[in-house]
Amino acid sequence: MHVIIDNIGFLLQGVVVTIELTVLGYVGALLLGTMFAVFRVGPITPLRVIGSIYVEFFRNIPLLALLVLVIFGLPDAGVTIPLFASAAVCLALSGSAFVCEAMRGGINSVSVGQAEAARAIGLSFNQVLGHVILPQAFRAMVQPLVNVFIGVLLSSALAAAVGVPELTNRTQQLNLQYAEAVVCFLFAGAVYLLVALSAGAVGGRLERRLAIKR
Amino acid sequence: MALLISGRGRRAVALATVAAASITVLAACGNSSDAPSIDGIGAKAGASYDKIITSAPVASAADVDQNAWAKKIKAQGYLKVGGTDSGPLFSIKDINTGELTGFDAGLSQMLAHYITGKDDVKALTQLTITSVDTRETMLQNNTVDAVFATYSITPERAQKVDFAGPYYQSGDAIMVQKDNTSIKGVDDLNGKTVATESSSTAALAVKKLAPKAKVLLFKEDQQCVAAVQQGRADAYVLDQGILLGDALSNDSVKLVGGDPFTVDPYGVGLNKDTDAKPFVNAFLKKIYASGDWAKLWKATIGTVVSGDAPKPPTIGSVPGS
Repeated sequence: MHVIIDNIGFLLQGVVVTIELTVLGYVGALLLGTMFAVFRVGPITPLRVIGSIYVEFFRNIPLLALLVLVIFGLPDAGVTIPLFASAAVCLALSGSAFVCEAMRGGINSVSVGQAEAARAIGLSFNQVLGHVILPQAFRAMVQPLVNVFIGVLLSSALAAAVGVPELTNRTQQLNLQYAEAVVCFLFAGAVYLLVALSAGAVGGRLERRLAIKR
Repeated sequence: MALLISGRGRRAVALATVAAASITVLAACGNSSDAPSIDGIGAKAGASYDKIITSAPVASAADVDQNAWAKKIKAQGYLKVGGTDSGPLFSIKDINTGELTGFDAGLSQMLAHYITGKDDVKALTQLTITSVDTRETMLQNNTVDAVFATYSITPERAQKVDFAGPYYQSGDAIMVQKDNTSIKGVDDLNGKTVATESSSTAALAVKKLAPKAKVLLFKEDQQCVAAVQQGRADAYVLDQGILLGDALSNDSVKLVGGDPFTVDPYGVGLNKDTDAKPFVNAFLKKIYASGDWAKLWKATIGTVVSGDAPKPPTIGSVPGS
């Protein structure tokens, strides 16, 4: 335990980096994912195709492969993005594919009759989506979106492999020095667990708030 | 509103497009001669390497019978080794044959040959990939019999596991871009960004000797080299032998600072609850005396470090061994 207590500041800096990565990656994933979800349910065929290709690509490429491509591949093409930013961008890209599918699932959970009725009273596509479909769809999205958040949080540990000094990376550094792998990684694991559980709790409350009394 | 109804045909086309696109991207990032490669230096497996292993000494039946740890391995028929298959010069998998070669791998094969007397090099050992995070634990719970993984002997680690050896004394060197003139030695690393492997004690050495350096940890050797070539890091600090090997295959980098600036003794990691340590130490002394240690050094590290094999370090000569 003395390893953790003596180096708590060092570890907490890692926790901060992990949280920063997760939040930035998740916010990016939400923005991109929402955009592509709208593409995929929208009436414009080229956008739908682009949305499908985007999702299939980023959903099926391993994050570590993506990280290596962005961090070691792009500089050969003349684009060097700092490590932290690279990791955040990769998390956002990879997460956005899952956000997009979570949103699409939520939208598809609203019965077609709702959309037809809204169209029948003369609402435009944007109005149908904004006033009728999305408010009902949000409730079905909350848990899948929490899952994506937890996914992004846990995936952020992969950034340790490519030099970002987040929690896992710092845990490895401590273990190098003290050879206390079990204690060090138990601590790191507990932190991830705590953040993930908190996210789950927030999601649960949000879901209850959004619940529609039918 | 048109919810997307994706027909099978369209999906197949989309998937094919994505696959094609990713292959193109990957191909574009492939190894051209001027691009950093993310793969290691290929080792030379083959008859001559195998002969170095199989011509090394074999323990007498009495020696093995007197040692519970060795007896168990003889009964098992092979040695469970913890290590890596991607460490240039020390332990790397030959792509064609699947055989592990290198200085660490060779020593583990020699030890297995010494105990079992068998001659099929590929079947002498079974590798479990260990990382710096798992080495001590895997020894303690007997997942592996021994760890050969450029395992630096430190007093902290020696509290958890036994170290036979040291069997190799190395030290850290500094790699920079070919045209770099600002870094000439370890003192110049202060204020610079220094890459090193996350599994190496080099990070500790840098922190101690150049406290103002910003250390970047990467998982693999080739990533560190790429970081230097692409300017993410000003320097790369690691074992001199490995850096020399990297510099041979990448002419855009060079080593600076002359002799290594640290002393890094490598030991064989063993479970503390066994009687393995005296047995492995006796084995090391035998191959030192017979010249097999030097032959293996020549065939592995000696391919990048010029000159004759050094004198092997004295067994038990460092704290923790």
